[in-house]
Amino acid sequence: MEQLLEQARRVSDQCEVFFQEQRSDSVSFENGLLKNIESRDQSGISLRLIREGRLGFAYTRNLPRPEELLQNALATLPGGVEARYALPERFVPVDGRAYDPDIENLTNTQLVEEGRRLAAYLGEKTDGQVNLAVYRSVTRVRLLNSRGSDLEWRASNYGAHLSLMYPGSYNAVERSWTAKKFSPVPEELPAFILSLYNASKSKVRPPGGRMKCLFLPETLYALIWRIQSAASGKNIFENISPLKDRVGEKIFSDHLTLIDDPLDSLRPSARGFDDEGTPCTRYPLIEKGALVNYYFDLHYAEKLGVPPSGHGYRTAPWGGEAISTKPRPSLEYLVLEPGRRTFAELLRSLDRGVVVAGALGAHSGNIPNGDFSFGLAPGIYVEGGEIRGVLEEAMVAGNIYDVLRNVEDLEDRVHPAAEGYYPAVLLDGVSVAIGGS
Amino acid sequence: MFPQLEAILAKVEADYADLRYEIKQETIITFNGRELTQVGTNATDGFVLRVLKRGGFSSVTFTREDQAAWAVRTALENAGLLASQVSQPVSLAPVPAREEIFLPLLPEDPRRVPLEEKLELTRRYNEIPYRSSGIATTQTQYAEICREKYFINSEGSRLREDLVTTRLGGTITSRDGTLTQTVRVGGGGSDGFARLRHQDGEFAEKTKIALDLLKAEPVEAGAYNVVLNPDLTGVFTHEAFGHFSEADLIEDAPTMRERLALGALLGNEQVSITDDPTPPGQLGFYRYDDEGVAVRPTALLRQGVLVGRLHSRRTAAAFGEPVSGHCVAEDYRYPPIIRMGTIYLEPGEKSLAELLQDLGDGLYLLNALGGQTSGENFTFGAEYGYQVRGGRQHKMVRDINISGNLYQTLQRITGVGNDLTLSRTGGCGKGQLNVRSCHGGPHVLMEQMVIGGR
Repeated sequence: MEQLLEQARRVSDQCEVFFQEQRSDSVSFENGLLKNIESRDQSGISLRLIREGRLGFAYTRNLPRPEELLQNALATLPGGVEARYALPERFVPVDGRAYDPDIENLTNTQLVEEGRRLAAYLGEKTDGQVNLAVYRSVTRVRLLNSRGSDLEWRASNYGAHLSLMYPGSYNAVERSWTAKKFSPVPEELPAFILSLYNASKSKVRPPGGRMKCLFLPETLYALIWRIQSAASGKNIFENISPLKDRVGEKIFSDHLTLIDDPLDSLRPSARGFDDEGTPCTRYPLIEKGALVNYYFDLHYAEKLGVPPSGHGYRTAPWGGEAISTKPRPSLEYLVLEPGRRTFAELLRSLDRGVVVAGALGAHSGNIPNGDFSFGLAPGIYVEGGEIRGVLEEAMVAGNIYDVLRNVEDLEDRVHPAAEGYYPAVLLDGVSVAIGGS
Repeated sequence: MFPQLEAILAKVEADYADLRYEIKQETIITFNGRELTQVGTNATDGFVLRVLKRGGFSSVTFTREDQAAWAVRTALENAGLLASQVSQPVSLAPVPAREEIFLPLLPEDPRRVPLEEKLELTRRYNEIPYRSSGIATTQTQYAEICREKYFINSEGSRLREDLVTTRLGGTITSRDGTLTQTVRVGGGGSDGFARLRHQDGEFAEKTKIALDLLKAEPVEAGAYNVVLNPDLTGVFTHEAFGHFSEADLIEDAPTMRERLALGALLGNEQVSITDDPTPPGQLGFYRYDDEGVAVRPTALLRQGVLVGRLHSRRTAAAFGEPVSGHCVAEDYRYPPIIRMGTIYLEPGEKSLAELLQDLGDGLYLLNALGGQTSGENFTFGAEYGYQVRGGRQHKMVRDINISGNLYQTLQRITGVGNDLTLSRTGGCGKGQLNVRSCHGGPHVLMEQMVIGGR
C-alpha cells in the first residue's frame, strides 16, 4: 500500500489508498433445521488521486502490479470528474474499541450450536415457522493519504437474526441481536417475537382508514430513509430536498431526536473516521423535532462551502462493495432516542390500530418528497389494546412531514434494526388501506 | 485458467466439488445532475468453491489465489459440520458433464467502443431533460458489466461463458416548489452497445412525463380495477408469482410448499407464465447457469395451473423434479442461488383499447417503480397512471403503490392483451443483485387491486 501511495504521489497533487478486508461465516436455519454454512474472505484495494482539480479512481481485488492500478486511475483523469476538495490531514481518531479478539476463537460449530438452541427454544413455544441466522465477521480497513493520514480500523461482529413466519408466506415478525463477540442471545428476543406471533395467528379484515400505527424498529427504516434523503448534502446541493434552507426549523414532533453516533463504543462497529479519513463525531440531525444538521462527504461539503461532517462512506444501495464505490454522503450509525413507555404499554394504548411489523416495498414511492406507501408484511391488528390478528392484504401510506408530526410516544429502549438503533414508534392518523376478496 | 482451477479442485476430497473463477470488468460513467461524478474501467476477480461431502453441501468465496488451501479446508470442515447435523442429506440432481467455450456474438461489442464515445453518449442523453424548465436534477449512468466466467466441477465439466450486460439510463427529477417527481429512463440489454444508441426520444418522452407528474393528482387509497402496462405486468409476474417458482424459497417452508404443489390451481384460465432465458438478443439471455447446467425454457403456469418450477441441482433432487438451469450468482463474490431468467406472462387476444373498454371505470397504470415480495404478499409502485371512465383515459394520477396477495391476485386477472414486451433493465435483489433479471408480459386487466395512495 505504501508503495502504491508513493507511486501515486509522484503523479498527482493528492492521493489516497483504501484497503478493506472482510472475513465472515454464517449459518442459517430454515424451518428450525440447519440449512447452510457459508464462509468468505474477500479483500480489495481502491485508489483515488486528484490532479488539477480532477479525480482519478480505480480499484482491484489483487495487487500483483500496483502500476496497473495507478494507470487505470490516471486513465480516468481526462474524463473530467471534478474534485476540488482537500483530503483530510493526519489526525488521531477516537478509538471505537470495535474489535474484540475473542471473535477469533469462535468456531462454526459454536455458531451452529447457538442456532440450534434458539431454534429449539422457539420451536417449543410456537407452531410458526422458525427461520434464523447466526453469523460473525471481522472487517479491517486501512487508509493512507498523501497528507500523512495512516488510519486503521478493525471491527468484530457477532449477530443473530430471528424470524417467525406466518403460514403460506414469508411475512414474519423478526428481531436481531448484535455484539462485538459471542454471547448467548438474551431470552427477551425470542420471547418478544413469540408474544407477537402467537397472539396474531388468525387472519382479520377490519375496515381501513386513518388509525394509530405502532412501527416496530425493524420497519422504521422505511420512514427514516426519507429523512436520510432530505438531509443529505448531495440532495441539498442538487436542490431536491424539502429540507433545504430549513436548519433550525421545527419539522417533526418534539418526541423525535435523531443522532448519528459512530463513536458509541458500546455498540459494534464504532469508529473514529469515515471512509475518507475525516474524523467522526456524535452528530445530531434532528433534535426535539427541529432540523439541526445536514450531512456531507468531502465532495459535497466543498460544493456547499461547509466543513465535511465525516459522512463519506463507500456504500451503495443493493450491496455495492466498498472498494468499487466512491465515497458518498451516508448515515451509517443512526440512533433514534428512546421515549418513556414500554412496548407493552404502547400496545395497550392502541384503541384501534396496527403494529407495522414488516415493510414491503419501502423503496417504492417518492423518497425525496417524503412520501411512503408500502405493504404490511405483516401488519398486526389491535383493538382495545389487544392483538386481534394479522391483516391479509394491507398498506400504509403517507408523507413523513405529516405523520412524523403526530408522534404519540416512543418505546423506552432501542433495538438494532436495519440501518440503525431504533425504538418502536407510535404514530397517530396514518392511512391504512386494507383489502381482501 | 483451467489448469490453475484444476490444481485447486484436485485437493478437494469430497463426493462432489465445483470451482468458479470470474473476472468482472465494469465500466461505469455517472452523471449526478450535470456533473460527471464517475468514469472508468476496472476489473476485479475471485473464486467460489462448493463442496458436497456425505450430504453436507457448503460454499466458500475468496479473492486471492493464495487463500485456496484455506478455502478447501474450510469448505470441507463446513460440509462435515453440516453432514453431522442435517436430518436430510443433500444430493444433486444428475446432469451431463459439459465442455464448451461460449462467447456470445455481440453486434457491437461494448468493450471495443472507446470510453470517450460512451462518455459523450451518456452526456448527450443526460442533457436532454435540461432543455425543459422545471427539471431539478438527473442521474444518468452508463454501466457495462462483463462477467468472464470459468467453471469446472469434479464430474468433468469445463465451461467458459461471457456475460456482457450494458445499461444506459437513470432518473429524471422535476420540481415545483417543494414538490419533486422522479421517473426512470433508459434501458439496456445483453446484446451489445448498438442497443444504447438512438435513445434521444426515450429521454425526451420521460422528461415530459416527469413534468406532467407535477400537475397530476395523488391517487386516493382504495381498491380499484386496473389495466397494467407490459412493464407493470412483468414486475407483477416477477414479484407476485415468480419468486414462488424459485424452489429454494419454498423448499423449507412446508406451508408454502403445500400450497404450491405442482397441479395447484393458482390463477384463472387466462393466465400462463413461462421462464425462458434461451432466446438471444433479450436482456436475460445465458446458456449455462453457475452450476454448469444448460438453461431450458420452463413452463411455470399453464391456464392457471402450476406445472413447473425453477431449480438448482440441489432443489431438483429434493423435489424430484427436472433441473432447469436457473442457479445463478451475481458475480464471484457469491455462491449461486435460484433466480428467474426471463419470466413473462404469455400474451392473449385483446388489444389495449379492448382492455380499457372492458375496464370501464378504473385506473390505467404504467411503468414499475420497485417491487418486493414476502411470500404471499407483494408490493410494487407505478410511476404514473390515468383515471379511466367509460373506457376512456382521463386525468393523470401519481403516488401509486399496489399491494396484493399471491393466492388471490392471479385469480383476478380477467383480461390479457396481445402485446408481449420484455424489459430492457433488470435488477432483482434477492440477497444478491441480478442485473439481467428480465421480465415481461402484455397489458392485462386486473380486478380489485389494493392501492395505498399517499
